[in-house]
Amino acid sequence: METLKNIAMSYYDALIPDQRYLAYLEGIKVTILISFFAILLGVAIGMLVAVVKVSNVNSKRFLMRVVAKLCNIYITIIRGTPLMVQLLIIYNLIFTSRSTNEIVIGAVCFGINSGAYVAEIIRAGIESIERGQMEAGRSLGLNHMQTMRLIIMPQAIKNILPALGNEFIVLIKETSVASVIAVTDLLQAAQYVGSRTWDILPPLVIAAACYLVLVMGLTKLLAIFERRMARGDRH
Amino acid sequence: MIVTKNLKKAFGSQMVLNGINETIQKGEKVVVIGPSGSGKSTFLRCLNLLEVPTEGEIWFEGNNITDKKANIDKIRCKMGMVFQQFNLFPHLTVMENITLAPVKLGLMNKEEAEQKATELLKRIGLVEKATAYPNQLSGGQKQRIAIVRALAMNPDLMLFDEPTSALDPEMVGEVLDLMAQLADEGMTMVVVTHEMRFAKKVATRILFMDEGKIVDQNTPDEFFEHPTHPRLIEFLSKIL
Repeated sequence: METLKNIAMSYYDALIPDQRYLAYLEGIKVTILISFFAILLGVAIGMLVAVVKVSNVNSKRFLMRVVAKLCNIYITIIRGTPLMVQLLIIYNLIFTSRSTNEIVIGAVCFGINSGAYVAEIIRAGIESIERGQMEAGRSLGLNHMQTMRLIIMPQAIKNILPALGNEFIVLIKETSVASVIAVTDLLQAAQYVGSRTWDILPPLVIAAACYLVLVMGLTKLLAIFERRMARGDRH
Repeated sequence: MIVTKNLKKAFGSQMVLNGINETIQKGEKVVVIGPSGSGKSTFLRCLNLLEVPTEGEIWFEGNNITDKKANIDKIRCKMGMVFQQFNLFPHLTVMENITLAPVKLGLMNKEEAEQKATELLKRIGLVEKATAYPNQLSGGQKQRIAIVRALAMNPDLMLFDEPTSALDPEMVGEVLDLMAQLADEGMTMVVVTHEMRFAKKVATRILFMDEGKIVDQNTPDEFFEHPTHPRLIEFLSKIL
């Protein structure tokens, strides 16, 4: 009985006194904002890189082949080095001014990182669409980009939605690494509370629960989206 | 209408088209037959540059479309193409399949395009399928929709790449009937097919291809009744 009471007390301490729950909320807000903009940036980069790669690997134009090569190098480097190292390098390389908004820093770092993975997912999606779709679009007079945008992409996105959702989930959780560059995200908030209460475990568990809720919310959202996209399948 | 000059196409070191000189006039219905691997599909796909020729020129309505400066997207608007695998867009409804290109290319506004699509669908008796998705249709319906989709662009020339080869036998008729109707209305057509009865009935000229060349051509009657080329005689004896 006594132990239960102690546990309850430690969680109470980690949440209520000095309005500590506000620290978590603030942290959640930062985590969500970073994740959100990183996902947007990642998808934008990923889409661009994927389209460049599938469209130009065998292009006759020298410049486009060079661009495609550069995309490959980007993917290789990002996928081949640890996220935390990238984070520190980008932080010290680009955002040398410490006054830069922490959400911007986080979003850019994680967006650049996620872009490489998203690019490969989208490329797989584009390549899963049979060649005839591109030919049909082109034969109707649409140009390459229009066909990509109107015909290939919508189908590709539908096919890769589960993989893409997975990447988003990973991204949300990995934003916790941002605490190494002094971003006050959810994990940082938990550590801050822990340093105040001299009891680190309850805040960490609370933070973990918050991540779990975030990820579950996203999963739900993706499921709804996936159902919407599934129209046109045989019913 | 469409002229090819010394058209050659190689895939790697393999010559698929070996110098084709051919002129197709407006209103002609040209059927291309030949053994598999003879290059007939490649020839057809070269006509709207889905395959880029390795050598030679293609002229369409007085323009050299193999020229680097030619706007191939504009030219393709005037050449409808129907594929063996239908290639309908599975994420769009039948109506959207038909109206997508004319609307996005600014040839018609949405209302005009939908009106035209409805007319075309009425004509093939599938107007009630306008809101259906391609996966809910039979093969024959899909192919007829694909033909209608090409027609919605008001093309001057229609290319058919083995349009009935992927169909169940009982659905071949409905597609060929629609094609025959088009032919009657004066559409210029180039058809790659194995349907000899269709060729006999509809074609104004039949080309026989073998090993990347047009080795013989004639009117349907002469072609089937009095074949002269030894390779053609052999081919016909196998399939008839």
